[in-house]
Amino acid sequence: MHIDCTINGNERMFEVSKSDLLLDVLRRNGYTGAKRGCDTGACGMCTVQIDGEPTMSCVTPVAKADGATVETIEGLGTQDDLHPVQQAFVDNSALQCGFCIPGMIMRSKALLEENPDPTEAEVREALSDNLCRCTGYKKIVEAVLDASDRLAEQAVAADGGRAATDRCCDCHCAGDRPTGADRRGETDR
Amino acid sequence: MEEIEREEPPGVDASEDVAASGDAADTEASADEANAEESPVEWDEPENNRKPRAERVNLTTDVEKDDARKIVTGEARYTADYSRRFPDLAHGTVVRSEIAHGYVTAIDTSDAEAIEGVYAVVTPRDDVVPDTLYSSSGQSYPEPSPWDMRVLRRHVRFVGDPIAAVAAETSEIADRAARAIDVEYEEREDVFDVEAALEPDAPRLFEDDEVENAQSGADYGRNLESHFEGEIGDVEAAFDRDDVRIHETELETPYQSHCVPEPHTTIAYTDEDGRYTFITATQVPNHTRRQLAHVFDVPIRDVRVEKPSVGAGFGAKQEMAIEPITFALHLAADRPVKLEMTRREEFYALRSRHPMDLTMRSAVTEDGTIVAMDLYARSNAGAYGTHGMTVASNVGTKALPLYPRVPNVRFEGDVVHTNLPMGAAMRGYGAPQGHFAVEAHLDEVARDLGVDPIEFKRNHAIRTGDLDDVSTILKDDDRFARRIRSCGLRECIDRGKDAIGWDEIEQPDEDHLHRGVGMAICAQGSGVAGRELGAAKLKMNEDGSFHLHVGGVDTGTGNDTMFSQVAAEVLGCGPDDIVVTSSDTDVTPFDYGSYASSTTYISGTAVKKAAEDTKERIRYWGSKLLEESESNLETEGGEVYSEATGASVSLEEIGYEATYGHDEREQIMGDGHHSTDESPPPFGAQFVDVTVDEETGEFELNELVYAADCGVAINPPLAEGQVEGGQHMSLEYATSGGLEFDDEGNPQTTGFRQYGMPRTTDHPPMETILVETHEPTGPFGAKSIGELPTNGIPPALSNAIRDAVGVRLTSLPITSEDVKAAIDRRGAENYSSN
Repeated sequence: MHIDCTINGNERMFEVSKSDLLLDVLRRNGYTGAKRGCDTGACGMCTVQIDGEPTMSCVTPVAKADGATVETIEGLGTQDDLHPVQQAFVDNSALQCGFCIPGMIMRSKALLEENPDPTEAEVREALSDNLCRCTGYKKIVEAVLDASDRLAEQAVAADGGRAATDRCCDCHCAGDRPTGADRRGETDR
Repeated sequence: MEEIEREEPPGVDASEDVAASGDAADTEASADEANAEESPVEWDEPENNRKPRAERVNLTTDVEKDDARKIVTGEARYTADYSRRFPDLAHGTVVRSEIAHGYVTAIDTSDAEAIEGVYAVVTPRDDVVPDTLYSSSGQSYPEPSPWDMRVLRRHVRFVGDPIAAVAAETSEIADRAARAIDVEYEEREDVFDVEAALEPDAPRLFEDDEVENAQSGADYGRNLESHFEGEIGDVEAAFDRDDVRIHETELETPYQSHCVPEPHTTIAYTDEDGRYTFITATQVPNHTRRQLAHVFDVPIRDVRVEKPSVGAGFGAKQEMAIEPITFALHLAADRPVKLEMTRREEFYALRSRHPMDLTMRSAVTEDGTIVAMDLYARSNAGAYGTHGMTVASNVGTKALPLYPRVPNVRFEGDVVHTNLPMGAAMRGYGAPQGHFAVEAHLDEVARDLGVDPIEFKRNHAIRTGDLDDVSTILKDDDRFARRIRSCGLRECIDRGKDAIGWDEIEQPDEDHLHRGVGMAICAQGSGVAGRELGAAKLKMNEDGSFHLHVGGVDTGTGNDTMFSQVAAEVLGCGPDDIVVTSSDTDVTPFDYGSYASSTTYISGTAVKKAAEDTKERIRYWGSKLLEESESNLETEGGEVYSEATGASVSLEEIGYEATYGHDEREQIMGDGHHSTDESPPPFGAQFVDVTVDEETGEFELNELVYAADCGVAINPPLAEGQVEGGQHMSLEYATSGGLEFDDEGNPQTTGFRQYGMPRTTDHPPMETILVETHEPTGPFGAKSIGELPTNGIPPALSNAIRDAVGVRLTSLPITSEDVKAAIDRRGAENYSSN
């Protein structure tokens, strides 16, 4: 079957089988930022956003993405121009092996879109579906709180008529920045 | 970058902050003095190794982790992410034993082979599957683990033993084919209990011809992989003394899963030169190369192991767990093959922390002097002996050395096979089990004596200048007796005690709630004394930048960043000017790999030596260009400058001159390697604050504090991250985790939902304190930090609960039910004694 979706702002068409899971289709097509951690939706390492909702792509039938807007870590920022959430993870040393981090960032971004000024307890609650084995979570939670501040500052700057950067916090606008996977533009198999 | 204002670290003599007042301080001071006389701490330290904090420009600043941007953008490439490089990649699946013990008598693969898209099915009868016995341990050579496994097994010893494997066009097809394979078994009696396994009539797991390279004390007739014992002084005589009281504690520890974020994954292919290449998630590329060459009988030079980004190891990836099967599938399918474990396999079919039961005894005089300690550890190795003897021996050789003032010490261990999954290396490597036994036991002894547990431990604990011979208790000679040249243990205790508010704990208002605090001191090593080698080479580019090739392996801890900081500190450039390549056996020099808390200490020293070697050539060229004596020249800020005249030349000018010079040209390069008999322990103190509900046994952790002495912390945020992550693992070991099996050895814990790894909401507040000392044998004063923080929470929590409600928990994980049962027992005992 065909599915059509918008991935990181780019319209994509994939040939898939009905039983395919979103994670497999994403990874086959170069979106390898989403990681395979458990295949049971229990670790969060494959988290992406579908229509703004954080979603475990390893247990999500690809059909759910048909006609939807999918955001993956590849759509956020580049190494030279990080999204504020990414920048906060870097600046707070909130990463070690990094395998859980794309999922953590996608989950954190979804949280901050819904609740721009969360308490520490709210951050911990929101991230409780995402496991990390290396960090003890402390720096990750600090990074999310830091990201919240950064986004608030950015919003203030934008209100004042001067956009601090060319991106906003509810970042459905990254389509102008095709990622490596998007640039290749191939379809599935 | 903001410089943290802090006094210079005191010299070694003063680094032992003693209590500020009273007789205790005098006693400690004089003990230190006497100690210093008997045990000199001098060390022939290179002049450039000891720099005041303000001058360690590249070490103490918060250098960004070099792969941080790749990680947060999803561009870091782990093994599975390389799949797209191979258009004809086959996907592998392993067929695993469904019984705990027996022989495979027939395998029918015809249905599987007939499925479209199946490229190969391999079983032990295939030529490409060697019959060689080997150890998967990823250790030095000859391995201190028995050679007791084959790539695929006819004699299966646990549910999960690999029997056959499939390579197919997709992983779905491979899985379907695997299910179509029909296996017939001749079942044997199984044994899951360690005590039962040692009985003379127990089912035997290994016949004599099924093991090579057996370890000391092995007795396979009794399922004993190893037995060892060692003694210092005369423990029996001390226990027989009239003036001592004997204390005994029996303890039990469970399996713990590594829960590596990235499941074990390997891609095997043959390159255009006919060489076998492995992109693999490993901590030990060089050991894997050697062991693969051994198993498949090919020259070492024809095997290449490349380590991409690794989604953490924690010892799980010190094992060559899946590379041999991937190799066999690759040979059979004649195309690149990827084998990626499922999470289910990670839990039941790979490796875990060894469960153990332990008995700790001590003899203590009325005035509170410990005259003897005796620790017995019985380890459940599971079905194979990988890391069996060495992990069990570390139970005693990490925790017992905390108390070198105890004159009589004995340690004994048995490593026993059962039909359960195999234990292997895991962060802490036996030390968590040992610390649980020693630190919970001595806490109980102190309480029995009616003395403060902290003071009791402090009085006996190790200090700078000690000659730690307890760490050599299992060795024939004292070559490896460690001279303790840096020990911030007392500062760790004091600062941790303040941070947790030890003296100001307030009890909750409700009568049934009780709050308590517990403490455990910790030690580890820095590499394996006398059994390590790290090497590095550095070459200079014409623009003044450098390429560092290092065998040391970064599995996510930040070692590559640390390497660049160490090299930059020597070369006087920025860490950004150094491109790090680690680790590819074709390209990078040899290194034993990332285990035993060795990377900063061993590989980091190799990097420092390589940088110094390079710097010599830079000085030579600086001397040519500046027309000054080399001895006047120093490097800093990307320049070589003359201390005499102030004249300078940039590294870039030197790079161009050396490369394109008119009369002379040179590729500026340096190399360094490091091996040593030293293994200085890092020290730490773990504090736990807990509130226990006496009615229900439920308990809540209010706070965790860990104070750690890792010498000079290179990149403090990364060091803190190690402590925080170590506490996470230690918290799990203390309160959740563990693997369950049914009566037939079938795993009941096969996913994160059953396993109970702590999530963000399960973590109490955590504080990390880095206590800086200077280890003269380490690079710029550094020791290790990776494993140390996994050792503390089980005993500290047991001690805190004891403090709160007066019961002693000796079995992990500690659950509310256990606490409730202990409280009920205590009530019954009190009742009966009245």
